[in-house]
Amino acid sequence: MGWRHRSVIDLDGWTRDEFLFFLDQSRQMENVMDRPVKKVPALRGKMCVNLFFENSTRTRVSFELAEKMLSADVVNWSASGSSTAKGETMRDTAWTLESMGADIVVMRHGAVGAAQYLASKLKRGIVLNAGDGTHAHPTQALLDVYTAWKHYGDLEGRKIALIGDVLHSRVARSDVIAFRTMGCEVVLSGPPTLMPREVEDLGVAYEREPRDAVKGADMVYLLRIQRERQQEGLFPSVDEYHRWWGADEELMKRAKPGALAMHPGPINRGVEIASEVADGHQSVILEQVRSGVATRMALLYLCGGGAR
Amino acid sequence: MMKFLFKNFKIFNGKEFIKEECLLTEEGKISRVGSALECEGAETVEGNGRLLTPGFIDLHAHFRDPGGEWNEDLQSGARAGAAGGFTTLVAMPNTKPAISEPALIEYVISHGAAARAARILPAGCVSKGRGGKEICEMEKMSEAGAVFFTDDGSPIATSHLMRLALLYTGKKLPRVMEHPEEISLFQGGQVHEGRVSAMSGLKGIPGASEEIDVARGIALVRDTGGRIHFTHLSSAGAVELIRNAKRAGLDVSCDTTFHHLTLNENAVIASGYNSRFKVNPPLRSANDQKALWEGLLDGTIDAIVTDHAPWHLDDKDEPFQEAPFGIASLECAVAVLLDYRARNYPEVPLELLFRKMTSSPAALLPEKWHGLGRIEEGAPADLTVVDEDRTRIVDCSAWKSKARCCPWEGTALTGWPVATFVGGERIWQDEEEL
Repeated sequence: MGWRHRSVIDLDGWTRDEFLFFLDQSRQMENVMDRPVKKVPALRGKMCVNLFFENSTRTRVSFELAEKMLSADVVNWSASGSSTAKGETMRDTAWTLESMGADIVVMRHGAVGAAQYLASKLKRGIVLNAGDGTHAHPTQALLDVYTAWKHYGDLEGRKIALIGDVLHSRVARSDVIAFRTMGCEVVLSGPPTLMPREVEDLGVAYEREPRDAVKGADMVYLLRIQRERQQEGLFPSVDEYHRWWGADEELMKRAKPGALAMHPGPINRGVEIASEVADGHQSVILEQVRSGVATRMALLYLCGGGAR
Repeated sequence: MMKFLFKNFKIFNGKEFIKEECLLTEEGKISRVGSALECEGAETVEGNGRLLTPGFIDLHAHFRDPGGEWNEDLQSGARAGAAGGFTTLVAMPNTKPAISEPALIEYVISHGAAARAARILPAGCVSKGRGGKEICEMEKMSEAGAVFFTDDGSPIATSHLMRLALLYTGKKLPRVMEHPEEISLFQGGQVHEGRVSAMSGLKGIPGASEEIDVARGIALVRDTGGRIHFTHLSSAGAVELIRNAKRAGLDVSCDTTFHHLTLNENAVIASGYNSRFKVNPPLRSANDQKALWEGLLDGTIDAIVTDHAPWHLDDKDEPFQEAPFGIASLECAVAVLLDYRARNYPEVPLELLFRKMTSSPAALLPEKWHGLGRIEEGAPADLTVVDEDRTRIVDCSAWKSKARCCPWEGTALTGWPVATFVGGERIWQDEEEL
């Protein structure tokens, strides 16, 4: 099939067939990772700029590894010390990148809509969203789906429970879209103060009790809890959070036998996840990290013109 | 001064359409309304069946002057108003410095008048420097020409301050105008808390933020016997509170904006979170939007305003979360409403909408200005010609306003003001009319 996406801002509008095509590509890219020489010439001569306005070690390194394995030239641009910190508008940043000849811009930004905005200002360059505020994190969702797909094959009819701070989670929003498109049943759980009010508009169910949410789940996905949310008063204490919504072996037993324990990382042990789950046999957290490189390679390859 | 003889118009007199189709202006006033009028030496304005209304009155516009003239100044704002069919604009006082002393009231009046375009009437602050602590010299500011008292841009900081303001203004001084918002529910908010916040992850502002402040104002009006006007209403709950307060006989009034009537949160989603749809209060749900129309129909909502909030494109053209709140709309607001009504609410009488933009807002101004918003012999000759059939594409690059950020840019709209007269002078005419 042809590939119609250039910039990828979110996963709205991707079809199931597109996901399946993408997953096949990702598997081929993962094969590259296992070679003694981890490099193919797919993006030779292309310039990738990793534009990170927010700290993110793992996503940035994952993209950088993916870009280098595809032989792209890579420039890392962080916000500190950039003109943005000096008051330059993003429009000027976009025009600067274009003038410098950037082919692909990978951007992480704290503002919802920033990636879409950048894409609207670039005439030629491709924008891959590495997270825009609390809105979307499409590559995280792609790697999550890929990880699950490798375990289960067809995901139609599978159930995933996402537990934690959905309100502030770009991962949750993108995962909901991705897993639903793949035919999964998605259930959200977490404190009501960390849940969007009109949660049904996301097309999913909400169960306050995680023990109910994980019943029959094939995947239990723990969302990262940021401690500053407690300072904002959105939940009373880390201990109470862990006791009610944290994933321990007891909770995992209520899911389907062998259900996958997933997490976008970095993990807070003893908060959203207990160590025995994070390090246990059901955990695929490190597999997710590996999937991240493969799926980002696939995305760079497909959007960067490798498939055309 | 020029005399104008308006012939063959369908005339709306501020309340209803009348059978007479001619009107004569002399010495800045409407001298005659009738049929088959003639007048030697008067310039004839041929209506060909188009509409002639009292000039539109906007009770809520921002002009950034003094202190933010890069975005808009009083002259560009007055010209923008004229080009949108408005003859009277109330300037909000949240400028830098804020309009909280008599000399600044005079500044707004004199600089606005220099444009020789729409009449600009200043609102003064409730609190000195908009600091939320002490009430301003309201008697002096009223004498200087203030027509409302408001800390707009923010709600009145404390219930105590609002109570003082209501007691002090009473029935004598201009009305207190309140920007209804409970600050602690707003913090960091970007969009309506509902579908759009769930989908986007942007922080939501619940409708309750507005309702709580409206409830506070109503309670204090009951307590003090004062008068309050709630501006830019957006939520169904607030409409209901005001409906009940009016039924209880309290002197409470309110307005909503052109954009809250014609857009809802779905537009924010559909735009891909474009800052052209970022306003405060936020565009709310389709149900809230419907409640605003119901409020217009049953008389709960007294006026329709623009909340014209001009930003230079360099400031507004940013990712949604980083852009300032507010859109510019003076030059297309009337067309937006007429077009929307024709497509979605044809059962709403045109004269009802015109009332909400003419006689009804005029009645909320100090008594001196009650002659505005009506067509009758002896009233000021503030008039707007409207062509219901004119279709034009919104082109912000041609605007008189310095602002260029508007949700309807590029949209074809039908029903436009085509000429504006203030005090018997033609202050604007559509180029196609010349």
